[in-house]
Amino acid sequence: MSTMDSSADRQRRKAGVSSLGRLLPYAKPYVWQFALVLVLVVIFNASTVMQPYLVKVAIDSDISTKHPNYHGVLVIALIYVGVVIIGVAANFAQTVLLQNAGQNVIRTIRLSLFSHIERQAMRFFDTRAVGRLVTNVSNDTETVSQFFTNFFLSLIRDGLSIIMIVVAMFELNGRIALYCMVLIPIIFAISFGFRGQLRRAYQTTRTRLSNVNAFLAENLAGMRIIQIFHQEERQSRAFEELNESHRQANVYEYRTSVWFNRAFEVLGNIAVAAVVWMGGGAVLKHWIAFGTLYAFIRYIQQFFQPINAMTQQWNTLQSSMVAADRIGQVLAVQPEIVDAPEPVKVNPENVRGRIEFHHVTFGYQPEQPVLRDINFVIEPGQFVGVVGATGAGKSSVMSLLTRFYEPQAGDITVDGISIRAYAQADLHRIIGIVQQDVSLFTGTVADNIRLFREDISDAKVHEAAEIVGADALIRRLPNGYATQLYGKGSNLSAGERQLISFARIVALNPRILILDEATASLDSQTEELVQRGLHTVAEARTTMVIAHRLSTIRRADNILVLDKGRLVEQGTHEQLVAASGLYAMLDAESGVEAGTRDTRPL
Amino acid sequence: MSAKTLMRQFLSENKWAYVISILAIIISNFINVQFPHILGRFTNALEAHRLNLHDVLVYAILLFVVGVVYVQFYAIGQYRNGKLGREFEYLLRRRLFAHWEVLSTEYFRHKSIGDLLNHAMNDIRQVREALSGGLNILTNAVFLLLATLIMTFTTVSMKLTVVSMIPLLFIPLFIVWFGPLIRTSSRQVQEALSDMSDLTEESLSSIRLIKATANEDVETERFRAKVDHIVHQQLTLFRRSATFQAFIPTMSSISFAIALLYGGYLTLSHQIQLGAFVAFTLYIGQLVQPLQQIGFVINNFQRASASLTRLQVLLDERPSITDCEQPIELGHVRGEIEVNLPSFQYADGQVPALRDIRFHLMPGQTLGIVGRTGSGKTTLVNLLPRIFDPPAGTIFLDGHDIRDIRLEALRQSIAYVPQDGFLFSTSVGENISFGDANASREQIEEAAKAAQVYDDIASFPDGFDTVIGERGVTLSGGQRQRTAIARAFLKSAPILILDDSLSAVDMRTEKRIIEELEKVRQHKTTLIIAHRLSAVRHADLILVLEHGEIVERGTHDELIRLDGIYAKTYHMQQQGEALRA
Ligand SMILES: Nc1ncnc2c1ncn2[C@@H]1O[C@H](COP(=O)(O)OP(=O)(O)OP(=O)(O)O)[C@@H](O)[C@H]1O
Ligand SMILES: Nc1ncnc2c1ncn2[C@@H]1O[C@H](COP(=O)(O)OP(=O)(O)OP(=O)(O)O)[C@@H](O)[C@H]1O
Ligand SMILES: [Mg+2]
Ligand SMILES: [Mg+2]
Repeated sequence: MSTMDSSADRQRRKAGVSSLGRLLPYAKPYVWQFALVLVLVVIFNASTVMQPYLVKVAIDSDISTKHPNYHGVLVIALIYVGVVIIGVAANFAQTVLLQNAGQNVIRTIRLSLFSHIERQAMRFFDTRAVGRLVTNVSNDTETVSQFFTNFFLSLIRDGLSIIMIVVAMFELNGRIALYCMVLIPIIFAISFGFRGQLRRAYQTTRTRLSNVNAFLAENLAGMRIIQIFHQEERQSRAFEELNESHRQANVYEYRTSVWFNRAFEVLGNIAVAAVVWMGGGAVLKHWIAFGTLYAFIRYIQQFFQPINAMTQQWNTLQSSMVAADRIGQVLAVQPEIVDAPEPVKVNPENVRGRIEFHHVTFGYQPEQPVLRDINFVIEPGQFVGVVGATGAGKSSVMSLLTRFYEPQAGDITVDGISIRAYAQADLHRIIGIVQQDVSLFTGTVADNIRLFREDISDAKVHEAAEIVGADALIRRLPNGYATQLYGKGSNLSAGERQLISFARIVALNPRILILDEATASLDSQTEELVQRGLHTVAEARTTMVIAHRLSTIRRADNILVLDKGRLVEQGTHEQLVAASGLYAMLDAESGVEAGTRDTRPL
Repeated sequence: MSAKTLMRQFLSENKWAYVISILAIIISNFINVQFPHILGRFTNALEAHRLNLHDVLVYAILLFVVGVVYVQFYAIGQYRNGKLGREFEYLLRRRLFAHWEVLSTEYFRHKSIGDLLNHAMNDIRQVREALSGGLNILTNAVFLLLATLIMTFTTVSMKLTVVSMIPLLFIPLFIVWFGPLIRTSSRQVQEALSDMSDLTEESLSSIRLIKATANEDVETERFRAKVDHIVHQQLTLFRRSATFQAFIPTMSSISFAIALLYGGYLTLSHQIQLGAFVAFTLYIGQLVQPLQQIGFVINNFQRASASLTRLQVLLDERPSITDCEQPIELGHVRGEIEVNLPSFQYADGQVPALRDIRFHLMPGQTLGIVGRTGSGKTTLVNLLPRIFDPPAGTIFLDGHDIRDIRLEALRQSIAYVPQDGFLFSTSVGENISFGDANASREQIEEAAKAAQVYDDIASFPDGFDTVIGERGVTLSGGQRQRTAIARAFLKSAPILILDDSLSAVDMRTEKRIIEELEKVRQHKTTLIIAHRLSAVRHADLILVLEHGEIVERGTHDELIRLDGIYAKTYHMQQQGEALRA
């Protein structure tokens, strides 16, 4: 077995250690609790170390002497019980205190991790599986907390035990104690021998387990597709592969750790034999009393308890380092888009709603522009349509306006102020967007409309639903507004989901409203109801509507036509049709009748 | 097969393996208890000055041998048990996944993925820990206890042992009383953790919405509430386990004190020898650890049994949609569909979602379904591949009740593009060929071309190997939808269902896709749900649904003449045309 680590390995460990270090400040507020734990541990340890000593006293001075003294034995027995009770009490207090501190540490880590993730720009989420982030928040924090509880505890309790036992041994007899110290280098040698192997085994198992986890998460979400396409067997096989490779790693890891722990136990037993051999000789030569030998034997046995406990914690240390590293990697990502140091102060109510794009160029990957040199102005209160083939970049325009991504070049202003000067929260209060994909939460319909905000009353919720024409429909549901939605709103029809996400934006009443294909899943009548409703609430609101159904935007004040990331035309419907460009072509193809190869007579 | 049966079966299949490993542990224990015994004899001999240096060496070697052999045996038992436990873990996961694959949509709607994952990860681990580590420690503890008792009875003093053991008898009583409290607490902790994971999953999946509505703080508050709840539950659990774990050493220390008092008295009154007394104190010391461990293991078993029960509930879930007794194997499917459905109601709905739906489609015909939001269109087409089960004798494929057809054959004959086309986070190519692992590159490209998504994909730097984000987040709405269409096209089935699958594509692309459909239309029975009438315009039969009922039916021309809802919609969508004319 090699004691040499590959450099990658070493680096990873270093990363683990330093990420653990970076998490230490979270424990700082609890430093007094940790200190108190230390004191309690000392008390507990002292009580353990005193136990063999008390028996030794009983043997040497009360039982195995020329003048046996039963009263002495009685006193010692009472002291013994007292000592144990104090130890147990200290141990109890220590556990509760430490777990309290540990739990509060995870709580803080969780909260800051969660809000850190929430602050990230959209690109962060494009490349990361939600399942893995959830694992960071739930499992990795849990694992790290074991560092603050189990590992910390073991370090001080077992470390202290070892020291106390060693001191006690030297107190008893320096020479034998000195011989016993031969054990220490041996222990180190064993640990070093196993170290690399254990860590590698551990990491492999963890990685494979999280592959299993990620696979399950995705496949459970897509189970319907698997069933419809009848791919159960294939997915089973894929799962089998992951599961099997995890099993192998898991068994290997276990075997390594069994040999590691047993190696110490063998060592412990050999040490006792050695003490008997040396100590026995010493007793024969009357160098030491028998009680001393007795105590030595007990001490050597006790000596290996903390050592074993600490090696058990070796795994904890490994796992917390891996977990801390993963948390650290998330925390180390600075949000790509941050507020200006002193954002402009705005009252969202007073925004007029003028939007300007000024030579905006943008690509999700810089070398692959999705939008090129986009220029347009939208005057306050205008109703603007955005059209273009699928994939033309319409949704991307909206993502830039809401500052989900930052353009590579150019500037975007709202009311003449660059959107970079606004606080993002303010910007998002000014601009409301109904997105192409509907997000619903588990909770009631009303909660979903008010987005769990307490400042939006029931009356307002109802009003908003009425405006978008969802009121009647919601009242038809089993419990009306109190109907519980399942995850992602799966007990509603697609259109109903879309209506609820409409109502939600109306309840927020933003000055600028963006509808990204927001009526795609609605039938024409419902769509018209929604649009009429929207018109009545805020005549003066700036509205941008992306739609493939051109009838939706035919009445717009201005229509922007995008093609392959360029703004190729703009104007009113009539102007654009007259210009007979791309829009006119789209329009010609857009009627129910147009373009069909149907030859049947009407 | 339920979790408990599975466990029983596993145990019985591996009974010899278990017998061997448990035997190894037992042997190791009987060797281990020789340790104090030898030390006791050594003490007596030493006291009696009957020893010389050579004897001391013999004792030491004896101890050495005992120590090493004991560890060998124990390691073998421990490793084998652990390995078996991990094998069971693997089996249980495999079983769970296979089980999930047969459960119906209805089931998954009620469950959160976070909760299911918690089962697959934590509950299974809990059971495994009990089965491997727990079993090791328990066997070890019980036999160590037994062996120790035997040794003390035979070599020290029965009286002394019995008297000293009295306080230890309270331990089992305490365990019985306290164990359930820990189990409850432990379950509550698991549930609190699940809740938090669910919320996190939901929030992060909806991050666009949360950011767009500046709702971050509200979400953080909701998250904080969950986290606080966990802290509360965890602390309760820790307090309880700490109490539990404090009780055992207390009792054993009292035992020890009795041993000291009574044993001291016996030694003083020369009823036992000093060596016996020394050995006995060592034995009592040896008893404390297994007792503590038994407490720990029982704690562990309590948790595992809570987990096993949770798994049990899960595996007991019967798939609601299964093959009938003697399923019909469909050979060649023509694609004739007949629906004769008096009513269909969701399990938790109050009124039927569909009523009196009757129509007949000949092979190769196209059915268009339109209607208001929530009128039951998706519900209707979901019945065909039995995503939800229709009542018996209501839907027929090629003249057979679909409930009599083998589920596999039924689903094999249907290509379906659901309204929310879920994509996997693999490459675009793999997504398209999801229905057929052996599809060639040409087939994939052909399907992509038919779905009009080929050019988009070709423009990506990695082409068909582009890995798309979770649920396809890095695609545009229309690209996602067309990828799902391509996936259905590749599976060349006699029946094709498109549920509002053209809603996110522009008119021109829609036209082209419909043209593609027209080409293959002769060979396929097609069901198209759409809001844009252009998609159903050419259908052989169009149904207009309203509140779950068919309110109008006929061809496009017939419906226009009828001048009802369909005609009204038509005019709304034709408006532009009219304006221009
Ligand atoms: N998060 C992303 N990461 C990388 N590429 C992306 C991302 N989102 C979109 N794209 C790519 O950018 C291009 C424009 O996408 P966008 O969503 O703006 O199109 P769109 O005009 O809204 O189309 P649709 O009408 O289909 O919704 C597409 O080619 C798409 O693949
Ligand atoms: N799983 C379910 N459990 C209970 N009710 C449901 C479930 N799914 C849908 N519903 C209800 O059944 C009705 C019909 O829903 P369905 O999804 O069939 O509508 P749809 O016609 O497809 O509408 P859309 O055009 O909006 O997609 C709706 O009122 C909906 O709320
Ligand atoms: Mg889009
Ligand atoms: Mg639907």
